[in-house]
Amino acid sequence: MESQDRIMDGDLQTLGLQSVLKMLALSGKTGTLFVHSGPETLSISLRKGQIMALHEESYIKTDLLSMLCLINKLNPSRAQAIREVSRGNLQVALAMLVERNWMSVDEMQRRLEFAVTQSISHALRWVDGRFSFHRQLVTMESQMRPLDIDSVLLEALRQADEWEEMGETSLTRMTVARWLPEVSKDVRSLGLSQEHIEVLCLSNGEVPLQAMAMVLMIPEARVVRIMNRLLELHLIEVVDTALEAELQQDLSNIIIMCQHTLAQRRQNNAPDQHLLGLIETLSQCINGLLIHHGTYAKSMRGRGQIPLTEIVRYLERRFDHPLQVIARQQYPILETVTFTNGQLDCSEIIHLDKLVKGEQLEAFYWEAVLGLATFLRTVFSTLLNDEVGNSHTGRQLNYVWKAFLTEVDQEIQQYQLYKAQKSTQQMRKRHSENVYQMGVGSSNAPQGDGNLYRSPETQRRSK
Amino acid sequence: MMEPVPTVLVVDDSPTVRKIVQMTLQRERIRVITAGDGLSALTSVADEMPALILLDIQLPRMDGYHICQIIRKNLQFRTIPIIMLSGKDGLFDKMRGRLAGSTEYLTKPFDSVELVQTVKKHLVGWQQRMPPQYEGMRSRLRHRG
Repeated sequence: MESQDRIMDGDLQTLGLQSVLKMLALSGKTGTLFVHSGPETLSISLRKGQIMALHEESYIKTDLLSMLCLINKLNPSRAQAIREVSRGNLQVALAMLVERNWMSVDEMQRRLEFAVTQSISHALRWVDGRFSFHRQLVTMESQMRPLDIDSVLLEALRQADEWEEMGETSLTRMTVARWLPEVSKDVRSLGLSQEHIEVLCLSNGEVPLQAMAMVLMIPEARVVRIMNRLLELHLIEVVDTALEAELQQDLSNIIIMCQHTLAQRRQNNAPDQHLLGLIETLSQCINGLLIHHGTYAKSMRGRGQIPLTEIVRYLERRFDHPLQVIARQQYPILETVTFTNGQLDCSEIIHLDKLVKGEQLEAFYWEAVLGLATFLRTVFSTLLNDEVGNSHTGRQLNYVWKAFLTEVDQEIQQYQLYKAQKSTQQMRKRHSENVYQMGVGSSNAPQGDGNLYRSPETQRRSK
Repeated sequence: MMEPVPTVLVVDDSPTVRKIVQMTLQRERIRVITAGDGLSALTSVADEMPALILLDIQLPRMDGYHICQIIRKNLQFRTIPIIMLSGKDGLFDKMRGRLAGSTEYLTKPFDSVELVQTVKKHLVGWQQRMPPQYEGMRSRLRHRG
């Protein structure tokens, strides 16, 4: 916007937003008011001292249609139909809802007015920042009826006061919450109000507090109170999106590394070497996950630098028992596996070739592979449940993890196939020897292909 | 108005790699389509005109070098950046990749941050590379997404 259009500007510390708006209303100004504070910007279009439209720069782009579906106010198929046409434009979406009689004109107006009030209420709490008023009216799409500044200010100030009265709170308008995966009780027995239940429905790990307030048309401060209550009841938890992104990145790198090792080990054609490769891959993967969990476990977060001994103690306390159970109940060979400095030590299994050879070695290796694969599953599900629970990130990681486990299972099945083929061949050999001994020559006994261990597909992938 | 999003085609025979790349790039608001072998990869290139291709070298039916050569010989698709993704990190393989026409080479196991940086670097100006006949399809995809 050209500077010659600017007819007024200043500092919010000198002249607060409330006074600026009142002044513009009294003088019946037409133009656009820009208010900046840090990265946040608010643009308010005024015509003859009335609010025509408002645009909040930092406004989080959440899908109103999905949120309406979450609180059962809109059918998902109808939401999809609107979404396809509105292409993310809130004004268009609301207008279409009205046009198709899925929302009343009155509700649309209330929603638009509420959004304006909420944004102004938020800006009224800005201490530092600047404002400028420009004569030029910026075109902003709006279906809203012109709003009287005084009445908007009255409600916005009331909402801002609610925030102030609440005192210290760790929740902000950007806070995202999600249901705790451990919740098993019937929430109806907790005597929650309709608003509590609606906030609970919207706590899916994706909708920020500000958007919840907008869709429910209740002030942000009241949503904070409701969230605090739900947190007390252990029904929800607060999501740290930056931490989850970092955590997802770290786990992705571990899985990529393990998949790469698995692909490299495929090149071992000898069965015992292949099994040994699998043991090394599985233990590498488990140890990678343990290191990761030592950093991202819930009880380790937000405590700054934690002594290594404490991390080691935590990891052993958490995973030693499941390992012992698997060893006792299914795979006794895992009794030789120990925890050293919070890492799984499989050296006794890896060096078994110094003690046993041939089929016995293969049998031990096979048992170790099955045991470690079971333990790997346990470690990952414990870790994921603790770190991200049933969140979007958790579901995404689970999806990737299943793909990796499929590749591990394919490798395991490869050995099972080899064993089955080997035993069939031995049986046939014994059978033909018996027939030969009985004096009947056999010339049609099946011949091995020289590489029982690899299917053509695996041979290709190993090249 | 919803911004148009670029489409990246990931070609790898490992479902783990395909899903990790998909998850990582989707977080960056990039649409991802995948193919598990060479022939499906070529079909996807023709159908979707991706803005970038992440291509593994060892693939069933047709290897990555061959796919890369086919794409580079096609007038319509030759400008699509191709990032080779392979476990082979030898100079010879990199050279072979370059000769086949790859834009860049990423060695497995790759770091997800490095992957995102490389993809973003080559996505700059992707809309200008899009032939006009794909505009309609792109707009339909935007609506769907």
